[in-house]
Amino acid sequence: MAVKPECIAMLLAGGQGSRLGILTKNIAKPAVPYGGKYRIIDFPLSNCVNSGIYTVGVLTQYQPLELNDYIGNGQPWDLDRANGGVHILSPYQQIKGTEWYKGTANAIYQNINFIERYDPEYVLILSGDHIYKMDYSKMLDFHKEKNADCTIAMLEVPWEEASRFGLMIVNDDGSISEFEEKPKNPRSNKASMGVYIFNWKKLRKYLIEDEAKEGSGNDFGHDVIPAMHGAGERMFAYQFDGYWKDVGTISSLWDANLDLLNPKVDLDLDDDGWKIYSRSPVAPPHYVGANAKVENSMITEGCEIEGDIDFSVLFANVTVEEGAEVKYSIVMPGTVIKKGAVVQYSIVAENAVIEEGAVVGEKPENMKNIEDWGVAVIGNGVTIGKGAKIAPDTMTDSDVGGAE
Amino acid sequence: MSAKNVLGIIFSNAYDEVLPELTALRTMGSIPFAARYRLIDFPLSNMVNAGIPQVGVITKSNYRSLMDHIGNGKPWDLSRKREGMTLLPPFDTPAMGMTTGKADALYGSISYITKSAKDHVLLTDCNVVCNMDYEKLIKAHTSKDADITIAYAKGNPPSIENGTELILGDDGRVVGTKLIDCFSGSVNYSLKIMIIRRTLLERLLHEAHSAKIDDFETLVANNVKHLRVYGYEETGFVRVLGSLQNYYDISLELLKLENRKALFTPDRPVYTKVSDQVPSIYGIGANVKNSLVADGCKIYGEVENSILFRGVTVEKGAKIKNSIVMQNTFVGENSTLECVIIDKSAVVKPNKMLCGASNYPVYIGKGIVI
Repeated sequence: MAVKPECIAMLLAGGQGSRLGILTKNIAKPAVPYGGKYRIIDFPLSNCVNSGIYTVGVLTQYQPLELNDYIGNGQPWDLDRANGGVHILSPYQQIKGTEWYKGTANAIYQNINFIERYDPEYVLILSGDHIYKMDYSKMLDFHKEKNADCTIAMLEVPWEEASRFGLMIVNDDGSISEFEEKPKNPRSNKASMGVYIFNWKKLRKYLIEDEAKEGSGNDFGHDVIPAMHGAGERMFAYQFDGYWKDVGTISSLWDANLDLLNPKVDLDLDDDGWKIYSRSPVAPPHYVGANAKVENSMITEGCEIEGDIDFSVLFANVTVEEGAEVKYSIVMPGTVIKKGAVVQYSIVAENAVIEEGAVVGEKPENMKNIEDWGVAVIGNGVTIGKGAKIAPDTMTDSDVGGAE
Repeated sequence: MSAKNVLGIIFSNAYDEVLPELTALRTMGSIPFAARYRLIDFPLSNMVNAGIPQVGVITKSNYRSLMDHIGNGKPWDLSRKREGMTLLPPFDTPAMGMTTGKADALYGSISYITKSAKDHVLLTDCNVVCNMDYEKLIKAHTSKDADITIAYAKGNPPSIENGTELILGDDGRVVGTKLIDCFSGSVNYSLKIMIIRRTLLERLLHEAHSAKIDDFETLVANNVKHLRVYGYEETGFVRVLGSLQNYYDISLELLKLENRKALFTPDRPVYTKVSDQVPSIYGIGANVKNSLVADGCKIYGEVENSILFRGVTVEKGAKIKNSIVMQNTFVGENSTLECVIIDKSAVVKPNKMLCGASNYPVYIGKGIVI
């Protein structure tokens, strides 16, 4: 091998993301569209390339077809390389039998041979679930400077939300004294981002031990890291500040998209120094018609807009006909919203058709009981018939007939 | 015969002189067009969509921006081990000097043409904007067992010097050619897209070289009588750029849905270099009507009947009307542009006003600060 990479990344992209419901029926969570032209996985992949990490293993398991197709040879991220590049790693048959990835740590364990081929000093473990821009090379510098065995990226979250996260209690020198997994009464607001750097030799040892351990969940957060900590390895927390969002639920996915329209949110995708790359569709520029009204929105190539768009994110090739309204909504590629239809507080997946006069979603202020309000979701390829009404906080996975 | 047996040749510099403003720093092929394309994207995509596996791009001068744009041909799937795209810069031997005409330029690339070993060669310029099904052209060529087939359109000829009218006999055979003058009404004008037998092309080029004919059209015209030359009528959306005014009018024609549908038909996508821009942002108070907008724009002002290329910023209170604004240009607060073509990376500071007329658009050069 030519130049030995110092650090390689392993991206855990096998998760189903079951809380996204129908949006992940046929695709893995990292392949979920985000921000007009991206998919969630574009963020960790672009971060890797921008951080100078050019060898990335992507571990897939749940519905990998679309994800594999999307990543392809990695060319959109400049990861089509003779030396390194992106590699899709699916569970495979071995002499002792076939095993699915049982947990995050087991997924890496099953690919020890892949990592050994590159024989790196360090391994960066990432997940394909988060929207954030992060320079992993700075985290690696920190890791080296602290002479750590394991460094965990950490983010200070609001105290009232802290109990939803895996938390760390950190000493003044940055070393980690204690872990707390989703505690009822948090003693820290320093949450783990699920981004780890390990010295490869150490991690290898612990992965093998963990695999041999009876009853282990083979999970980084629950098993491997506590084991390392218990054995007194050097564990450090690396503080990240900046935008970071887990888009694991419908409402967080909706929020994270609308965050792009808020100039106060610290997530600039128009940053030449830190571009987020994606596999772009081939589509002409978008067109905004003579009677259209577009404000506070993000619109991309191939859209034909004749209606009103406000506080919304439209993906490629969306058509909004005259008199239709799209408000506070996310509309994914290829969807058609016909004359007079209203789409509000909704996520409409790819290639759906909202027929004339149909109403999808509801304004929170129109609800009798705000507890019943939520984002309405329309699944891939679903047709909502003429004049039909789709209630808020619902998921529609099959065609809905017109209201006669 | 399939398109696999056709070599594509694109002249990136032909007719540079008719758009002196836009070609001052680039080739005809690299002129930005339709918000996110360069003119060469159209012939290149047409070739790829027809299944032509090998394309040579002939360049003469100012071709750095072209090289930057087409790179190794990846966006058109022409980055290949076998065949694919090749840039053909001037082949400057002491005996040749700078190439002047198309015949000359082709002669300079004759070894490339021969080595391709294709049966036919499809030639095109970059100033013809169309999404043409070259497969049909190739079929017409072979079904007539023609030596040369020239694509033409019917109608008022474009205002371009050196325009050629095809005089058609029975069965679509070209019996003569005529130079178009200002008195020509509706005619069959050549689109200068033609397909020719490779061996014949080589023979003609050798003849032209010894007879010192540098213009390829003249060469064809001289041989119409004793060759099987046929016309092929293109009835779809096709426009020939002959002047800055043309460029302006044809660009704005794309605001009509039917023209966009014809040029950007989903069956034959137009490929271009990927630039990884973010989607465009429309801010509070943005007011955009009847306009084409590429990715990466930030719009806080008013835009009407206009074309915005990638990464254009329109500040609050700015008004852009009937204009073409190219990549990364910045239009400051309360500035007004009307009937303006403004090239790449220009800056219009706040409270400025620039007005042309629809029959005389004002051109602002690349990188100019106003």
